[in-house]
Amino acid sequence: MSRFRRELAVGAALVVLLVVVSITAPRFFAPATLVNLGVDNAKILICAIGMMAVILTGNIDLSVGSVLAVCAYLGGLAVKSGLPPVLLLFLVPVVGALLGALNGWLVVRAQIPAIIATLATMVGLRGALQWATQGRWVLDLPPGYQWLGLGQETGQILIIIAALVVFAVAVYVFGWVAGGRALYAVGADEEAARLVGLRPPQVYFWSFVALGALTGLAACLDAFRFRDVPSSGGLGLELQVIACVVVGGTSINGGRGSLWGTLIGVALLGVIGTVLTFQGINAAWAKAIQGLIILLAVTADGQWRRGGRVDG
Amino acid sequence: MANQTPPRQIAVRQSWAERWFPNREWALALLLIIELAAFAVLGRNFATAENAAELVRLGVEVGLLALAMTPIIVTGGIDLSVGSLMGLSAVTMGWLVEVQGLAPGAAALAVLGLGALAGGLNALLIARGRIPALIVTLGTFSLFRGLAEGLTGGMVSYSKFPPGYLALGQSYLLGLPYQLPVLLLAAAGYWLLLHRTPQGRGLYAIGSSIEGAHFTGLPVARRLTLVYVLSGLMSAAAALVYVARLGQAKADAGTGYELIAITAVVLGGTAITGGRGTILGTLLGLAAIVVLENGLRLAALPAELAQVLTGALLISAILAYRWAQPSAPVPAPLSAEEFEMKTSHVFTLSLAMVVSALIVAAGNWMLVSRLAPVAAGPVVAAPAPVAAPTAPEPTPAARPTIALMPKNKGDAYFVSCRLGAEEAAQEANVELLWDGPTQPDASKQNEVVEAWITRGVDAIAVSVENQAAISTVLRKARQRGIKVVTWDADSEKDARDYFINQATAEGIGQTLMDEAARVMGERGEFAIISASLTASNQNDWIKVIRARLAERYPNITLKTIEPSDDKRDLAFRKAQDILAAHPNVKLIMAIAAPAVPGAAEAVQQSGRADVKVIGLSLPNLCRTFIKDGVVDCIVLWNTVDLGYLTVLASKALVTGDLQPGATSLAAGRLGTLEVAGDEVLLGKPFVFNASNIDDFDF
Amino acid sequence: MALLRATEIEKVYPGVRALAGVTFDVQPGEIHALVGENGAGKSTLIKVFTGAVAADAGSLEFAGEPLAGHDPRSSKSLGIAAIYQQPALFSTLTVAENLNLGAEDPRLTRRVNWRARHARAAELLARVGASIDPRRLVSSLSMPEQQWVEIARALGTDAKLLILDEPTACLPAEQAHQLFDVLRELRAQGLGIVYITHRLEEVFALADRVTVLRDGATVGTWAINEVDTERLIAAMVGRALGDLYPARAVAFDGTAEPLLRVRGLSSAASGLREVSFDLRPGEILGLAGLVGSGRTELARALFGLEPISNGEVQLRGQALSLRHARQAVDAGIAYVPEDRRRHGIIGDLSNRANATLAVLPRLTHNGLMDAVAETRVSADLLTQLDVRTPSIFTPTGHLSGGNQQKVALARWLAAKPAVFIVDEPTQGVDVGAKAEIHRILAQLADEGAGVLLISSELNEVLGLADRVGVMREGRLVAVLERAAATPERVLSLALGQAQEVA
Repeated sequence: MSRFRRELAVGAALVVLLVVVSITAPRFFAPATLVNLGVDNAKILICAIGMMAVILTGNIDLSVGSVLAVCAYLGGLAVKSGLPPVLLLFLVPVVGALLGALNGWLVVRAQIPAIIATLATMVGLRGALQWATQGRWVLDLPPGYQWLGLGQETGQILIIIAALVVFAVAVYVFGWVAGGRALYAVGADEEAARLVGLRPPQVYFWSFVALGALTGLAACLDAFRFRDVPSSGGLGLELQVIACVVVGGTSINGGRGSLWGTLIGVALLGVIGTVLTFQGINAAWAKAIQGLIILLAVTADGQWRRGGRVDG
Repeated sequence: MANQTPPRQIAVRQSWAERWFPNREWALALLLIIELAAFAVLGRNFATAENAAELVRLGVEVGLLALAMTPIIVTGGIDLSVGSLMGLSAVTMGWLVEVQGLAPGAAALAVLGLGALAGGLNALLIARGRIPALIVTLGTFSLFRGLAEGLTGGMVSYSKFPPGYLALGQSYLLGLPYQLPVLLLAAAGYWLLLHRTPQGRGLYAIGSSIEGAHFTGLPVARRLTLVYVLSGLMSAAAALVYVARLGQAKADAGTGYELIAITAVVLGGTAITGGRGTILGTLLGLAAIVVLENGLRLAALPAELAQVLTGALLISAILAYRWAQPSAPVPAPLSAEEFEMKTSHVFTLSLAMVVSALIVAAGNWMLVSRLAPVAAGPVVAAPAPVAAPTAPEPTPAARPTIALMPKNKGDAYFVSCRLGAEEAAQEANVELLWDGPTQPDASKQNEVVEAWITRGVDAIAVSVENQAAISTVLRKARQRGIKVVTWDADSEKDARDYFINQATAEGIGQTLMDEAARVMGERGEFAIISASLTASNQNDWIKVIRARLAERYPNITLKTIEPSDDKRDLAFRKAQDILAAHPNVKLIMAIAAPAVPGAAEAVQQSGRADVKVIGLSLPNLCRTFIKDGVVDCIVLWNTVDLGYLTVLASKALVTGDLQPGATSLAAGRLGTLEVAGDEVLLGKPFVFNASNIDDFDF
Repeated sequence: MALLRATEIEKVYPGVRALAGVTFDVQPGEIHALVGENGAGKSTLIKVFTGAVAADAGSLEFAGEPLAGHDPRSSKSLGIAAIYQQPALFSTLTVAENLNLGAEDPRLTRRVNWRARHARAAELLARVGASIDPRRLVSSLSMPEQQWVEIARALGTDAKLLILDEPTACLPAEQAHQLFDVLRELRAQGLGIVYITHRLEEVFALADRVTVLRDGATVGTWAINEVDTERLIAAMVGRALGDLYPARAVAFDGTAEPLLRVRGLSSAASGLREVSFDLRPGEILGLAGLVGSGRTELARALFGLEPISNGEVQLRGQALSLRHARQAVDAGIAYVPEDRRRHGIIGDLSNRANATLAVLPRLTHNGLMDAVAETRVSADLLTQLDVRTPSIFTPTGHLSGGNQQKVALARWLAAKPAVFIVDEPTQGVDVGAKAEIHRILAQLADEGAGVLLISSELNEVLGLADRVGVMREGRLVAVLERAAATPERVLSLALGQAQEVA
């Protein structure tokens, strides 16, 4: 099973962590805590799936945090102006997809390296949102907004189910739809992909659109947990999401990675903060531990040793 | 090149343009000139020697990072960890000087050593481990910042530095800031390294073709190690300058600097794929960014515009470089067949951009119109006063300019303060400037004050993020004859004329603790959710709360203090964790405006009717929770009145109506307020609860 | 009616005339072998057939229809399948996916039927007689296994015309025979097959007709029973050796103390086995052999780029440690590699920087480079080598192949090393530049350097070398004196049809 070495390693780390917690702080496994963790990480998972599509093709997207903030805020405004909240589930992903299309266009058509193009949209969208809102929240949303008016328990279950459905659909798309397989092929070898009849630019473009749409979905699912929408959502989300995908074993150079790895990556990085609180460790250490996990994950599985000799 | 009659003579000379701008960086130089010309017209006092010195000071820290980033990107790598390493270096410096009592020189050497060591960790994994630089430095990006936060618990802020060290960041030598030689030295060093040494030549070879470099026998790993170690060293140096400039060191130093540095480098014509780039280009890119930010401030244009323009600049610069370099072997353009850019695609994309623009515009409009009834009458009908970038007109003597700065423009608390400020500006016929950081950021506060000093305003009123950091620059403002007021949170006393005291720390802290004790029945456990833990007033309140707790309530225990970074979502998450991990906690005290609704939402969702939230927040953010009974009460003053009073008091200072020794101040609709020494008192903190919440709308 | 007919095909690259009038046809149910030395134009011809490059002149017909403006995708849909020397598979995907990707509808929204994929993959693999689990990742396959997948993939496209470029280069003998059986069966099914090889015994074992290319033109086409090995070799080698190659000013002294002494050199990773030879000062030692016979691996090992598992290398009697290229450079060994664009030059750098990259320490004073000296040194070198470039500041990547090669040589000339290893120095280089490169190599030897010349072009080896080594399957099977090295003898040694010990 050397194919899944990273997934197994990271999965093992997660299991060890949970076993330790179960001994020292069994209350961690209270259903409410787990539900809260699930709801909280749903948006990370959904974004991470989209990010994985982009990274599989060998690109990257730094703008997810800004896109999420714009999407959530616009959704709030739309409801405030009288739109039925349930429609957000359809409209906000479209907004996200359009913003994703902008990234895709910059990368494919303007041929700007993805890291620069999305750095520009990250900064630009964030600035535009802050400028437009001047920091004001969308307040006093109608009661039908929070949990879509379904009540907390149904709402929470809905969010978790939505994330799982997205995951399941992604498993299907990445495994059984030509477009999903094309992500791997194009990322593995662009030239060979051309030779078998794929059109790499098309694949790049749609991977950005998909990430945008998923970010939009994550934005409204996440926002439904509350009654107000702040104007500064998603700060730092991009690096969090990229970290989850990379820890889960997806190669930053494209062509290799599994959704299960990404799921484990999200779970591992998602529980750390909470575990620290349960262990009574100062929350200030969370970032250091996250960094350590990233470094260990990319060094421990030995993938890098195959990179060839370098003179020294 | 199938030239049948080739030139026997091979040219050995280059035009000066090719020599200095091998990547057509002159395009950026032109743009910089346009930028300078535009701001010379738009911005007040932009084209002055003083402002030129200011620009240099602003650019030094990011400049050091950008210089170090240039050779890294030239090799095809990247270093995301530089900003985080600045944070780690800054707190190390603070700890060594303040706690260990080291001389600043020795401490600085140790910090530089630490920087080199941290750079060495990156280098080890990238050069020897062959792991992509993006991933490695993403990991160390978290690790270094995390270490800085962990070691200081996120809340320690060091500010006891000897003046000799602070001079490095704050003093002038022959009218030039002390930092200038640091930047020049680094620029010269990097210029030599990259353009005049065999090592630098090797870096280009590596970035252009790592295999080719290898086949030439270049020590690839050693070269890569060099640039990453140097990058660590420069991050530490940038941190030393940063700490000296602000006079304080805490874990958040340099947050986000890595992206600014990368932006400067890429703007300067360095290819992100490696192999091309110059130090001169990086300096031009740096100048373009710094001038943009400073110019917008002096033109009283909103700082957010800088971000939008930076993004646009980045994209247009890359397109311009490509356009200017038709002969370079760029990736073959896609044939029509590869990616049909049909009309439909163009349409979709145009639509995307138009829609986004409309959405943003509409959002702005809706908010403004929604807020209109909140503030009195016609105040808001005039759009935000900052949005009037007209050409500089000489300010009539009768109409003083008063500049107000919040800690965080995006915070709902300050948004409501602004309403009162605008109301007062209208009433008192003053020109109001409202600008500040978009996230709590002591360094940005300094930069804005500097810009205001340069611009020349009559009064500056600051809600202080960090005392030590801001006081130097406020003193400088006073020396220039500008009246200085602090409001909401105070600076050092001698750095301002008056402090508009909305409520003393004792008042807030004791009221909060007493309310908490009342709700808890004077026994049990409680937890605090704070803002960033580094803001000085937060720490003051916590100190008072702890003192009151020890003194009066022996049966109450403070279980934990968790930071929320002023984010609602993080407060929510922390409250959930607190509830699960500490089941005996009966009360959560949230002492930041967005944290109360976050914590309240978490309590409500937990279904724990036995847990209550109290805190310090705005009525509008908490109204529903107070009515639901989740939030028992919030303690606050009237924030609209605070903004209102600050403007009126500032004007009174300017006009001489408020002078030392005064004991009262006529404050418009607030009536006559007490002046105690150098503090204007707004009144006692107010407790909002279910019975009175509907009387307030802010 | 011919399946594929090419008439007077011409193709000119900047500075190189790759194809100068090739006429060629394949009938259905025929295996047509295409032979010729490296650089004769075979690879370019295949690219013209598949549409990867467009011909400048001449006409192409496929199944009676004119073929123009096609690309690899459209020609695949017509039924033209090509297998290149280097497997072009997706290493991170499974065998089944690799076998199916090209054959499926390229719409991105289509559902993937894995059961059908696996079934089809199993069937295709069975057709070529390879027992490979379709679920394995290609990255886990050995080179021969990858070659089988490549062949199976080509079969799977329902090709009418199959083009194979040295398919047996990395197949062991018994697997090669297995491949021949498959090809014969395909021929029986009516496919036209273009078979490119260096191994003449394969031509006689398999082909119906054979066409020889030389210098981008057709020398002739024969039915297989009309020719024999000698005649083919003669056709490939051509005439007119002598005056194309520069005369040597200094006679080679076979008794001089060896400059480079290699004893029992083996490298497990690259398949080198027990290579021993001496290189004397002033000598050009030619290395002949088939592609994959270990010549490039030997060069890389001598330059510290391949791990040496056994054996000893001495330079002027000093044993060398060759773990990094740096050590080889410091010892005075220079290497001009085969893949010029990737390894030989650094395309983004200027001619000046490329030319001085190996001698930077010498142009450095107090840690800083002397720009004036660098300009002088590089201008001298480029002028001396007659590099056709507008300026020393022009990026080398913008030059033609021959001029790039001269810049690559210039870099090492500047370093004045004792031993030059040049790997395919004139591949893809036009005639004029070729002669100049030959002159440079001769001059190097005259000045006392030892030159190890690797070339697939037999004329070049025979015309320039003082002695000729022949490699086969990782061994140096013979070192012939110049007089003894006839083309026929070298080829038969390289092909393994004659035995000799040096």
